[in-house]
Amino acid sequence: MKSSLLQIALGIITSIGGFLEVGSIATAAQAGASFRYGLIWAIVLGTLCLVFLIEMSGRLAAVSEHTIADAVRERFGFDFAIWPRLAELLVNYLVLGAEIGGVCLGLKVLTGIDARWWAVPVALILWFALWVGTLDIIENATSILGLLTIAFVVAAVKMHPDWIPLARGAVAPVFPPRSESGQYWFTAVSILGATISPYMFYFYSSGAVEDGWKEKDLPANRVTAILGMSFGALMSIGVLVVSAQVFNPRGIDIKRYEQIALVLTPALHQWGWPIFGISLAVCCFGAAVEISLASAYSMAQTFGWNWGEDEKPASRARFSLTYTILIFLSIIPLLLGVDPLKQTIVSMALTAIVLPLAILPFLLLLNDEKFVGTHRNGPIGNAVVTFTIFMAAIIAIVAVPLEIVGGG
Amino acid sequence: MPPTHATRLVSDVLDKQLVQGRKKLGKVDGLVIVLREGKPPRVGYIECGTAVVARRLGRWCERLVLALNRRFGVREHPRYRIPWSKVKEIDINVEVELDEHPLLAWEEWLSKHVVGRIPFAK
Repeated sequence: MKSSLLQIALGIITSIGGFLEVGSIATAAQAGASFRYGLIWAIVLGTLCLVFLIEMSGRLAAVSEHTIADAVRERFGFDFAIWPRLAELLVNYLVLGAEIGGVCLGLKVLTGIDARWWAVPVALILWFALWVGTLDIIENATSILGLLTIAFVVAAVKMHPDWIPLARGAVAPVFPPRSESGQYWFTAVSILGATISPYMFYFYSSGAVEDGWKEKDLPANRVTAILGMSFGALMSIGVLVVSAQVFNPRGIDIKRYEQIALVLTPALHQWGWPIFGISLAVCCFGAAVEISLASAYSMAQTFGWNWGEDEKPASRARFSLTYTILIFLSIIPLLLGVDPLKQTIVSMALTAIVLPLAILPFLLLLNDEKFVGTHRNGPIGNAVVTFTIFMAAIIAIVAVPLEIVGGG
Repeated sequence: MPPTHATRLVSDVLDKQLVQGRKKLGKVDGLVIVLREGKPPRVGYIECGTAVVARRLGRWCERLVLALNRRFGVREHPRYRIPWSKVKEIDINVEVELDEHPLLAWEEWLSKHVVGRIPFAK
């Protein structure tokens, strides 16, 4: 039996791995460089939605002993469930490639060796960690290393940001003039896509079922969702603020990851460069772990296969093969020389497109007595999910045109 | 004994996880109703297998799966029927008691021929 403290660790890795990853670092850095504090609200809003959705994933798992993918298959039928799962698998493939690309870029920052050379070793290490490791080992190792990302917050504070405009950016932003609004809204959409990632729900609820959560774990689940996600958001805001302090006054737009690598140097001097490299590599590695597992979990659960990270691969052959194949296929774009920043931004926008289908079931499942008994959503929870679905639907419709207007 | 109380087939049984002990055998892909002359119809079997799933997505998908199965199939029949009398309990999962597991043919084949050959898999 695990203590509540250990359970909260599951949330922390979900927040580090799922929150601060290649997508959020890239989008937050771009936002800070181009619009100073003007897009902090997007991180805050995305996090608020995410806290509710993660809490619901955990609650569903604890009360019904069903993961999200299980529950969707049972409640809506396999012939519905398979389509969003396949769409997500495609998006996960691209996002996983971007995360592995992020690890490689982190290693490039540290060693100077070109990112492409790192793709195969990183994929092997990732695969090996999943193949031999248990959920606990991977979780704890990544969370401890991930604490290094506090460096972004330390750097943000050391650079003496203007606290009043910063607070305004979080709650009452001033929108930019018309000429810049295409890029502004595209960046906002990318931040929301990077923040509310569907794979987190599958990972979190599967972890909760694997760890055998019960109703008594609901308070710990709530604390985890709130603390874990806020912690992640704080790091993300840290990235945005340092980027705003360093790049915005100089009028630098971010076009390449190598530019972002300079972001910690003014505050942390000679430590800035290596700390950025390690942070990027660790965060992206954590996210890659989650995406690989989440994809295998959701496929196994949709088809009824044996699954579980804590069992030997031979007894979970189809589950283990799913992440194995996905990991090794995902590095193909990287090996072919696709720009990791472009792949990141495109995959964040695609995430936004699959989002409405991924979260619509929450509204029904979390109000269904058969699944959650007396622990149904309250009016606030339902309002937030409804709002998120509408927001996600609007984003899904505008993401592609905005990408053409603002992303290019 | 199979449950005797009212069971809603589609919402309570269809697409549920099929288990025997800790083994996940697959899911309830289909249900077969047996029509009997002069008597009420009866739930005869739980149907499982790729071809059953595929049929629910469309005829084209079923034909594709059958063709693939003929070419690469590990399992003799891509449809497998479990008599309703083998159903032990319907709760979070559908618990069955079977003597053999042709449903796990793919899992076992992959485990033996692919996954098991990779180091540290066991």
